[in-house]
Amino acid sequence: MKENLSKKEGPDVVKKLGGLGFQIAEDIERHESPKFVVPQRGLGNVSFDEVDNLLVLGDKTSTRSFLNVAHSKKFMQSILIAAKADELVSKGKTASIRELYYQLKHNIEGTKENTFEDQSESDPLIVDLEVALEVLREELHLKADDKGTVIGNIVIEDSGDRIDCSKLGRSGLAIPSIVEHYNFVKFDAQYILVIETGAMFDRLVEEKYHIKNNCIMVSTKGQAARGCRRLVNRMSNELQLPVIVFSDGDPWGYYIYSVLKAGSMALAHESKRLGTPEAKFVGMTMTDIDTYDLHSVTEKLKDVDKKRIDELLQYPWFQKKEWKKELKLMKQKGVRIEQQALASKSLEFVAEEYLPKKIEDGELLP
Amino acid sequence: MATDADKLFKDFKEISVTEFFRKNKAHLGYSGAIRSLTTVIHELVTNSLDACEEAGILPEVTVELHELGEEHYRFVEKDNGPGIPLKHISSVFGKMLAGTKFHRNIQLRGQQGIGVSGVTMFSQMTTGKPLKIRTSTGTEINEIEMMVDISKNKAEIISQNAAEQSPDVAGWRGTEIEGELKDVVYKQGEKSPYEYLRRTALANPHARITFTSPDGKTTVFERSVQDIPNPPVAVLPHPKGITVDDLFNMARASDFRNTSAFLKHSFSRISSAKVHEIESMVGFPLKRRPNGLKWEECEQLVRAFKKVKFLAPSMEGLRPIGETQINNAMLSILDPQFSHCQSRSPLVHSGGVPFQIEVGIAYGGSAGRKTAEGPRAELLRFANRSPLLFDAGGCAITKAVNSIKWSRYGIKKIEEEPVTIFVNVVSTYIPYTSAGKQSIAYEQEIIEEIKKALMEIGRHFERHHARKHRAMEMENKKKALMKYSKEVAGALAKLTGKDSKELLENLKILIEKRFETGALDIEDEQDPEKPEIKKAGGGNLTDYMEGEDEGKP
Repeated sequence: MKENLSKKEGPDVVKKLGGLGFQIAEDIERHESPKFVVPQRGLGNVSFDEVDNLLVLGDKTSTRSFLNVAHSKKFMQSILIAAKADELVSKGKTASIRELYYQLKHNIEGTKENTFEDQSESDPLIVDLEVALEVLREELHLKADDKGTVIGNIVIEDSGDRIDCSKLGRSGLAIPSIVEHYNFVKFDAQYILVIETGAMFDRLVEEKYHIKNNCIMVSTKGQAARGCRRLVNRMSNELQLPVIVFSDGDPWGYYIYSVLKAGSMALAHESKRLGTPEAKFVGMTMTDIDTYDLHSVTEKLKDVDKKRIDELLQYPWFQKKEWKKELKLMKQKGVRIEQQALASKSLEFVAEEYLPKKIEDGELLP
Repeated sequence: MATDADKLFKDFKEISVTEFFRKNKAHLGYSGAIRSLTTVIHELVTNSLDACEEAGILPEVTVELHELGEEHYRFVEKDNGPGIPLKHISSVFGKMLAGTKFHRNIQLRGQQGIGVSGVTMFSQMTTGKPLKIRTSTGTEINEIEMMVDISKNKAEIISQNAAEQSPDVAGWRGTEIEGELKDVVYKQGEKSPYEYLRRTALANPHARITFTSPDGKTTVFERSVQDIPNPPVAVLPHPKGITVDDLFNMARASDFRNTSAFLKHSFSRISSAKVHEIESMVGFPLKRRPNGLKWEECEQLVRAFKKVKFLAPSMEGLRPIGETQINNAMLSILDPQFSHCQSRSPLVHSGGVPFQIEVGIAYGGSAGRKTAEGPRAELLRFANRSPLLFDAGGCAITKAVNSIKWSRYGIKKIEEEPVTIFVNVVSTYIPYTSAGKQSIAYEQEIIEEIKKALMEIGRHFERHHARKHRAMEMENKKKALMKYSKEVAGALAKLTGKDSKELLENLKILIEKRFETGALDIEDEQDPEKPEIKKAGGGNLTDYMEGEDEGKP
């Protein structure tokens, strides 16, 4: 087993947050425009590293200046978040990002305005702060809700307790938003199967797929949250296990795979920790429709689906010929296919034929 | 005075449309609880203003509304007009009729609505109670209570009595109408009687209008000009501006023995030669009596009017409000920091109907629409001085205003500014989109002319007010920064252990410095991550405007 990637200690983070505060306070004392620099996030400042197979954040930055009226409110909000994070780290408490929002939300004296009107205002600023200070959300003692499940032959140590993920019944272990403190004690598995939908995960659990095929199964329940992505990344790195992704056959499912593999645009600064470039894709593919004669259980593409396909075709990390072929085929057929459409054969079909055969034959997309 | 009044009423021609009202009340503005009340006020006030002007009197109009119960109100409307001669009272209030304006093609407000007899009908239909009329032409005062006998289209006098006024002192002269209404609601807002009267006052600066709302609040819209508008000149209607409905009503009320004569003498620019040309296009002889014309035949005639080439109509029927007059009204009622008006020269639409555009802009003060978030932009539409409160969406005025890029004239987001845009379309024939007469059809000539006028006042605003306006914007920005400062200072103090008061003091100094004069024109850089979405039209008025009608006819 490889070692857990190092994590900054509390005092380190407090120093960084304080540093930001002092720098701004000094601006103010010198009667200069108070400001701080944030790397830009989004497509314009993200590139694809073909060697590492990961999305990386570029070096474009933007300056948040308090005296620029277009930035003033965001500036104020960022400082409020920084001060609250500082307090959390110092006290050794961890808050959910929703709790943080409620902790900071209040009326601005003498106005009808609130510091924050909606959680959608605080969430992106937390990420800005992470990127600007080069710290992780969990290092700021902030977390999101649990999302995703893991099951299989692996024992995890969490704050002194040992959790055997093969002995948690059919529900498995809920993946928290922070998994840094997990230690993998022991495991026995050939690979990790990551599944998009909860319903398919349940089906495979009931069919005892993970036992019969000796694998660890993870369900992302839609787009994978940070905790889930980090856990897959850590298991892949530290346990040296291959990762196989199983999603719906539509542009959204393919993007879930892409995020697991190469990272996301919004969190491109963390791709190394969140992405798993070795991941492979088992299905659903457009060729499956022909191979398994699933024509009658496809669904027509909607306009938003078509638009999304065109977007994916533009992304540099979707330029592999296999993926271009899949996306173009999808557009040409004008259909999408869900994982659960395999139930049209039989409930057991996915666990007893589809997955074992495709994985054994190495019919996987890069 | 009595002679004035007599002259006014001698042209009365009766049309039996009582039943028509019952069946078509929605078309006549009596649809929905809010709109019906405003329509009642409109009919009464319009009648008063028209009567005063024709008699050369500076109008004083008073409207009171009292709430009697749920959806139940009593109204009292009073004017200082010429009064109504006793013999005409029952026909004015008791019969659906096409009065003077219907047949003289004068540009009058009353082109809208069915007239004040509609009020009698509506009151009677909702409450079963008579209308009380108290009127005097300067001599005796007549008091009458009356209803309409629907089947006979005849007034039914419930009570009547007369009181002498002393001939020595100048007696009271005018008309007071009182009645009850049900199925109506008084609600403040864009479509309320208050708003109707405010707009009426803006377009009629020579009138003094007093309104008492059901909550007992009295508002006086003072007179701001002392000149009575010149009495409108009667011009025969031009055939190009006639609808089938107009023609049908005119024909039915006509005494001419044959249609040829009716056409020649009831319309302008129809010569004998043109009558022959028209006759060759319709499928019936024009020797027939006009009052026997069927609807389909009127349709054929109107179709023929469209094909025949007539001389352009004369411009003398037009009666604009006037630049000074509009400006005075805006200064008096809106008390703005800036205002500017323009009356354009007359043009023609629909191949020959004369029209004229008047526009105004008022900024700051009480201009704009009041909302919880402060004043917002408002568009006031008028047709021949009469406010159009409903059906804003499909109106040529709205379309023209929305096509203006206000940002070009230094108004960045017009919908968020305290601004009133005033547009009056003046014409002997306004092309309404429907019988409700609340929305002007998309006539390209009209739209283009409104746009030109608006651009003109926009340029004027830019030249004379944009600087001041920018200064005000800066002031608002400064306020925004000041209010965030305390939060920033507090959070920084927590982060650094420094004194928050000191930080706040320094921040204030910084902000003051930033907004010193001379720094006025600093443009804020845009947030690079979120470029501002460019809106077509640069600020659209439709976003803030009233919703559609509560009940479509």
